[in-house]
Amino acid sequence: MKAFDVFYQQFITKGGYKTVLLGLLTTLQIAIIGLLIGIVLGTLIAVVKVIPKYKKLPKALNAICNVYVGFFRGTPMVVQLLIGYFVLMPALGISLDAVVVATIVFGLNSGAYVSEIMRAGIQSVDVGQLEAGRALGLPFSTAMLKIVIPQSIKNILPTLGNEFIVLVKDTSIVSFIAVTDLTKAFRQIGDANYEYIVPYLFLALVYLVIVMLITYLIKLMERRLKRSERKQ
Amino acid sequence: MKESSNIIEVKGLTKSFGETEVLKGIDLDISEGEKIAIIGPSGCGKSTFLRCLNCMEDPTSGSIYFDGVDIADVRVDINVHREHIGMVFQQFNLFNNKNVLQNIMLAPVHLQTKRLRRAKIHNFFCKLFRKKEKMIPIETTAERIEENARARAMELLNRIGLADKADVYPSTLSGGQKQRIAIARALAMNPKVMLFDEPTSALDPEMVGEVLDLIREVANDGMTMVIVTHEMGFAREVADRILFMSDGVIAEQGTPEQVFDHPQNPRTQQFLKCVL
Repeated sequence: MKAFDVFYQQFITKGGYKTVLLGLLTTLQIAIIGLLIGIVLGTLIAVVKVIPKYKKLPKALNAICNVYVGFFRGTPMVVQLLIGYFVLMPALGISLDAVVVATIVFGLNSGAYVSEIMRAGIQSVDVGQLEAGRALGLPFSTAMLKIVIPQSIKNILPTLGNEFIVLVKDTSIVSFIAVTDLTKAFRQIGDANYEYIVPYLFLALVYLVIVMLITYLIKLMERRLKRSERKQ
Repeated sequence: MKESSNIIEVKGLTKSFGETEVLKGIDLDISEGEKIAIIGPSGCGKSTFLRCLNCMEDPTSGSIYFDGVDIADVRVDINVHREHIGMVFQQFNLFNNKNVLQNIMLAPVHLQTKRLRRAKIHNFFCKLFRKKEKMIPIETTAERIEENARARAMELLNRIGLADKADVYPSTLSGGQKQRIAIARALAMNPKVMLFDEPTSALDPEMVGEVLDLIREVANDGMTMVIVTHEMGFAREVADRILFMSDGVIAEQGTPEQVFDHPQNPRTQQFLKCVL
């Protein structure tokens, strides 16, 4: 039990839990804001992809979206983080907090994945719904926002939940650009005494609990959505 | 530019999907209050033609004058004209995420409030630049638009006898009820023309009657209508003019008596022999 005592001392007595809580906050902040950015970007890209392509502008937009999705799906997120922090920031001559950079990279990355989720969700809604809206004189954007996208959410939600879980777990790589997240916080506790067994097991447990909580929340939301459909 | 008696004038309309030419040059004048039924074998382009009339399908060439404006021209804001062209679909296409009342109110409320918002913004800038003479008079408020739309929707629901279903979601309704509500939704826009795309083809036989009754009622109110249908008896009863389409052209047209009792074109004769 020596290893556990060492961990306990470092975690409680020496105030390691403060770092861990801050790390947890950073982790959740990056994942949640990243997902929100991803949803907005992903929806926009998905809409561009489902617009009929007989005009020039959608074609050009579509090409841009393809490049974007191709890059962010085709390279590891660590590499994207490193490029964002060590290449783009100096090149553009701006200095941002590492957490901000990580959030932006996570947002851009999840945007690429969410766009595919959204596209599938939008295409799962019957074309007639859009047509009926357009036939009443509603513009494409309104018909999409008020009729098609709300209906697609039910199909999208489970997959989007998965994406969120992936994002939460992937935040463990942000220490590459010196962000103190959950993983780094626990590593620091281990570093203090070169005793890593308990901190890392505990770390895994914390991630597991977070993911289980998210899974539960998603199930709850799904049930709510289904109920609204059955109403009356 | 156009003589006023014709609400729709179609000139040389063609439509191709890729290599296949579905409509091969259609000319048609529809005068106000006229009821036209389009019949013909499946795949002859009836539905495509109907969907071209409100540019659901963009015509490949030709022009469609609605109220004197060529809506086939891509520079025209088609949404403004679609408000005046009601459309009823084979598959009803009620908005599944809205209840019945919202289904009927959505478009009128949205479009009118948008117009109101635009007018307000316009007036704001007029005030800003001291050009009060250019201001648009505003006679309504967002609340009143909503109220009026609700009243109109309830009036329509009462008329079709479904007022008790106002708060219900479409998934709980029968096909006949859905289609009647879809017709009410189109009527709520006070359209000048109604297009019916096989309104009874997806219905169980026992529900066809109630939908046809409603369409007949709308017809008796003097609405201009174009109906694609397989209900020959109904077409004969309601329509002023029957169009028989075949292979992307209007093969024969005339009064119901002419087309049904004395068809001239051999294709019409053959088709009618099969369906009557």
